[in-house]
Amino acid sequence: MAKPMMRKPKKKVCLFCQEKISYVDYKDTALLRKFISDRGKIRARRVTGNCTQHQRDVATAIKNAREMALLPYTSTAR
Amino acid sequence: MRRYELMIILDPNLEERTVAPSLDQFLGVVRNAGGAVEKVDVWGKRRLSYEIAKKSEGIYAVVDLSAEPSTVKELDRQLNLSEAILRTKVLRPEAH
Repeated sequence: MAKPMMRKPKKKVCLFCQEKISYVDYKDTALLRKFISDRGKIRARRVTGNCTQHQRDVATAIKNAREMALLPYTSTAR
Repeated sequence: MRRYELMIILDPNLEERTVAPSLDQFLGVVRNAGGAVEKVDVWGKRRLSYEIAKKSEGIYAVVDLSAEPSTVKELDRQLNLSEAILRTKVLRPEAH
């Protein structure tokens, strides 16, 4: 009888499309930190809600930032 | 001519005052080859997210320049030969 309530996920809108940011800067670590977990992993698109293109741009920017030691590859702290 | 963005991590043991002049010396290559250095931004000392060459800090600098591809390649080669430079990255911001 008690049918499980179907959760209706709220559709997220890509942050970069909203703000009309065309270039994701790898130097902007404050912004990029929103897209990594506390272990330093890149968050999946279903978590961030980014569109395909911007998720890709974010991922590239994070990888560039990691190469320059601006962001960690891993962090075991916490 | 293309626009480039160059990020450099320098040895933290350098005097911060000597950073700008020594970078200028490297950038002479660009000027001699007809390129233009548009902006040199020295961020100063910053903690590295992980150790590079047993150092946990580095002096960051970002340079905007426009030059021929071969010039930038030569500049990057010379930078990497220097002991005082931990890491470099050359990027073309408009390329994507």
